[in-house]
Order: sequence, then structure tokens, then C-alpha cells
Amino acid sequence: MFQRILVANRGEIALRVIRACRDLGIEVAVVYSEADRGAPYLKLADKAICIGTGPATDSYLKVQRIIAAAEMANADAIHPGYGFLSENAHFAEVCRACKIEFIGPPEAAMEQVGNKDKAKQLAKKAKVPIVPGSDGILKSTDEALKFAQQVGYPVLIKAVAGGGGRGMRIARNDVSLVSGYSQAQQEAEAAFKDGSVYLEKYLEQPRHIEVQILADKHGNAVHLYERDCSLQRRHQKLVEESPAPNLPEKVRRNICDSAVRLVKAVNYYSAGTVEFLLDKENNFYFIEVNARIQVEHPVTELVTGIDLVREQIRIAAGEKLRFKQDEIVQRGSAIECRINAEDPANDFRPSPGTITKWHPPGGPGVRLDSHVVTGYRVPPNYDSMVAKLLVHQPTRTEALAVMRRALREFTVEGIQTTIPLHQEIFNTAAFVDGRVDTTFIERVLLPSFSKGK
Amino acid sequence: MANDTTAPRPFDVQTVEFLIGLMGKHELTEISLQEGDQKIRLRKGGVPVMVAAPAAPPSYSAPAPAAPPAVAAPAAPAKKYHEIKSEMVGTYYARPKPDKDPFVKVGQILKPDTLICQIEAMKIFNEIKAECAGTVVEICVNDKDPVDFGMVLFRVDPS
Repeated sequence: MFQRILVANRGEIALRVIRACRDLGIEVAVVYSEADRGAPYLKLADKAICIGTGPATDSYLKVQRIIAAAEMANADAIHPGYGFLSENAHFAEVCRACKIEFIGPPEAAMEQVGNKDKAKQLAKKAKVPIVPGSDGILKSTDEALKFAQQVGYPVLIKAVAGGGGRGMRIARNDVSLVSGYSQAQQEAEAAFKDGSVYLEKYLEQPRHIEVQILADKHGNAVHLYERDCSLQRRHQKLVEESPAPNLPEKVRRNICDSAVRLVKAVNYYSAGTVEFLLDKENNFYFIEVNARIQVEHPVTELVTGIDLVREQIRIAAGEKLRFKQDEIVQRGSAIECRINAEDPANDFRPSPGTITKWHPPGGPGVRLDSHVVTGYRVPPNYDSMVAKLLVHQPTRTEALAVMRRALREFTVEGIQTTIPLHQEIFNTAAFVDGRVDTTFIERVLLPSFSKGK
Repeated sequence: MANDTTAPRPFDVQTVEFLIGLMGKHELTEISLQEGDQKIRLRKGGVPVMVAAPAAPPSYSAPAPAAPPAVAAPAAPAKKYHEIKSEMVGTYYARPKPDKDPFVKVGQILKPDTLICQIEAMKIFNEIKAECAGTVVEICVNDKDPVDFGMVLFRVDPS
């Protein structure tokens, strides 16, 4: 087992890893930038090392300084947290070359799943369904029509050279496909100097379902069931829960088994999440693998009773998984709200500043993961998440009630937070009924939320 | 006023007695006070607890540049020096090799490209230049100390 671990991250996840190290009796050092100097959680580590100025590019992303800090602290392993360098295969390689274990997956697996095309190939190999797409560039409208009739409308016409949502257009029938196809080609030529397009099945109002997996260095891999993360705004998750509501047991089993098959196919180890989209007919399609511990990992910890960060450390130290698949249960219902320092009444404008009052909720079934205390100054250089508020109850109805109560107790002064938005979500019938999708927040909730203000 | 020789001077016996009284009354272990370039620190013994010093009692005039009183701790000069800070994380080396002289000594005059130390990280030694001009007033780290980003290595008098 490791003697000392360096935490190469900040904020709530740094605190989370520090706690896991303490729970295992491992000494812990943590890095910080000048913007995080004086943060209270730093004192909970045995050693804190300054690695640069506020901007992440001059601190939390500086590979050399982080490795130097690990050597200074005599750490035998580095935990990268999430974001920053956590999915940087080069960083993992450098750590291990310096005889410092990287608490995460092997570089080879990171490279495979980090590349969109390689990940698709991997899914095919593992017999995991992917979003149906025309293989290769389309050469004619006839080819396009043939594909669309095969997979069924609606379809998405995408520019090969596009990306990040650019160069996409929906077609709902043959007529709009033919006209859309030539328009898309012209636009792609003008915007990207490459008029090649391809087609993909378009999923209307899909649900986002992801599966937590754990795998060790001895070839064992298990799933810890799914999380529903459909409530998103601009691709940022707001609320996550487990189990996914209204998910047929057979679908759950298939998705979870697919996830395990996929990570085994790439000799993955450590914690990871396999993400899927679910259409209205409950067909699921693989989209990507997150080769790291995720923000919403506590949701799974609550329903399974397994500490994922401790398990990551054990796995990295070479231990075998201590449980078999049939020993892992999903008990009760857990829900998480991400609380951000943003003003939902003003287009989610960031609200950095000093928190003059921080009275988080408590009581049975409430878990709060946060590095914030009264008097804490939220720095402007990083993401705006200040806390993760979780509840765990025997039924979803009770979980909803406890979350409403916890949100009501939560008092924050000095900054704006998204607590009012969450209160609105938990009073929305569609969410209470488990009938939301990834478009719900932006399509339905936000328009009525701002009207009411 | 500064020229009034009958007014008590900032750190005379009366002030010291007043401060000692304050310490006893409020059960303080240490008081530290600074006025201009005069500084005094009184410590009771045991673990010192830092207390933000209240403003000097209002009856005192502006300090004359007098000799420091016998009880006072040595006055730390409040003059503004340029601090050379580390921009690396690693181990500080004062000498180019263990048997050689250190790169710099106190009192040495620096030019921007003067080599002032080495910092080693990941088995690579990086030569650090002064990047400023002036006289070395203080060397703030010891040979082979670990240093992190922003740590003060040297204080330099730029004049």
C-alpha cells in the first residue's frame, strides 16, 4: 500500500481524496495555486505545495511542477481527481516513468477510449451498440436516402470536418434529407473547406444513462449500476440519480453488462464511467468512456455502500477487487444536486466572492461534499461548483422529500447559488415522475423559471 | 509633534509598561507593534499567539529617528526590498557543486544575468538568473531546501 499520496487537484475533489487517504491511514500531500492559497482544506493534508499562479495553465496543468511536488513530498502515487490532468495519458505515462503510480487507468486504455473513432471501434468489438451512422463519407443523395431508410428518421447530417455542434442539420423525411444534404455540403465547404458529410441517427430527447465500473489490475471488472444524468444545461450536469427512474430491469441489466464488456475489451483498470444515450424505445447507444473518477461518484457510493475513491487507491496499489458482481447491490434511491456559484435569475452569471454565511443542511440521509466554509472566497479562475448536496433514502419519493427539505435548510449568503433552480426542479412534475430528458432543462424548465422571476 | 522633546517617544519605558499591562489584562502571550521603521515585540514565554496590534496610543507623536530602546527587539528595517521568488517547484541548491563556493553571498551586487542558484526538479538542474539588479540583502533559503512556487529566495536592494 502507498505510504504517501499527492493530490493533484483542488476544491471539493481534493478534499474528497484527502479524506480517503486518511481513512486508509495514508499520508497525503496536496498542491495548490496562488488563487487557492489559504483554502481551509489545505490544512487537512500533511503538506501543501504551491505550484503556480491562479490560471490552471500555470498551475494545475503544469506536469513538471506537479511531478516535482510529488518528489518533494516523497509521494509514491498521485491522484489526479477529475478534470485537469486526470485524462491526460501523457501525464499518466510521465508519472509511472518516474516511479510514481498514477491512480487511474493504464495509458493505453486512456488513449483508446479518449479517441472518438477508436472508442467506436472498441464498442463494435465488444458488441456494444453505438449510434448508427453511415460508415464513411456519403457520395450521393441516393446513399444518404438508403441509410436514412435503414436506420429510420429523423437523421442528423453532419460535416466530417465540423465538431462541437457545428455543421449539423436535422432531416425528418426524404424531401428534407435531399435538400438538406446539398445545403449541408455547401455550408461545410464554405466553413471548413471540406464539403464531406455523413449521417447519424438523431435521437430525440434522449436520456443520459451512465454506468459506474471498477476494475483491478488482475482482469476483474464489475459494474456498480447506473446513474441517470439527464438534467443538463449546456452539456453541464445539474442533477444525477441512481437508480434511473422508470428503467425496465432488463434494459438496466443489458446496459450495465455492456459497460463491463467494453472496459474489459481494453484491459481497463481503476474507476471509470461508460456513458450511453437512451431513446424513447429504451434502446441504448454508447457515446463515450470517462476514464476517471467523476463529479457524481457519490451517488453510486450511497446506493452501493462502496467507497469509490478508496477502491481506486486499493486498485492502484495492486489489490484485487474485494467483491464479486453478485455481491454488489443497489439499495434505495440517491440523488445529487450540484450547487454552483452562479445566478440562475441572471443567465447563470458566475458569482465569485466571499461567502459570508454558509449553513449547509444535515440530518438523516443527507451528505454534503464541499470544501467551502463560512468566509471562503470563491476564486474566479475555476469552475463554479461550491458543493454537491446528496440524499439517500429507501424510496425515490422519500429521497425527493428529503432533498426538498435539505435545499430549504441550505443557507448561503455573500454569493448567488443555483439552490433556487434546484428547488424549482424538485417541484416540477415531469422530474418527480421521472419523465425528463437531456433537453428538458433548456426546453421546458428554464423558460418558465425566468418567467416566474 | 516630532520636535517636542517632552512628549514620550514611541518605544520608551512608559510604552513598554503599558504594553506589559495590556498583556496581563488580556492574557496575551505576545504583542508585536510597528511604527514607521521602529518595531517592538514582547513575548511572555511559552507558545506565542499572534495578536494584531492595536494602533499605538494616541498621545504619541510621530517617531523621531531615535536609538532603539534597550528592551526592544532589533528593529527590522521596513525599507522595500525586491524579492526574488521561485518560479519552480524543486530543490534549491546554493552552490554549483558541493565543494564549490555558493553562487551568491550577502552584499554581492547582482546583474540581471547573474546566476544566483540552481533548482533541481525531476533530476534536471535548472540555472536561475537574478533577472534584476541590486545588492543581495538576505538569502532566505538554505542549501538543499525544498522550494515551491512563489517562495521567496532572496531579498535584493535595488538602489
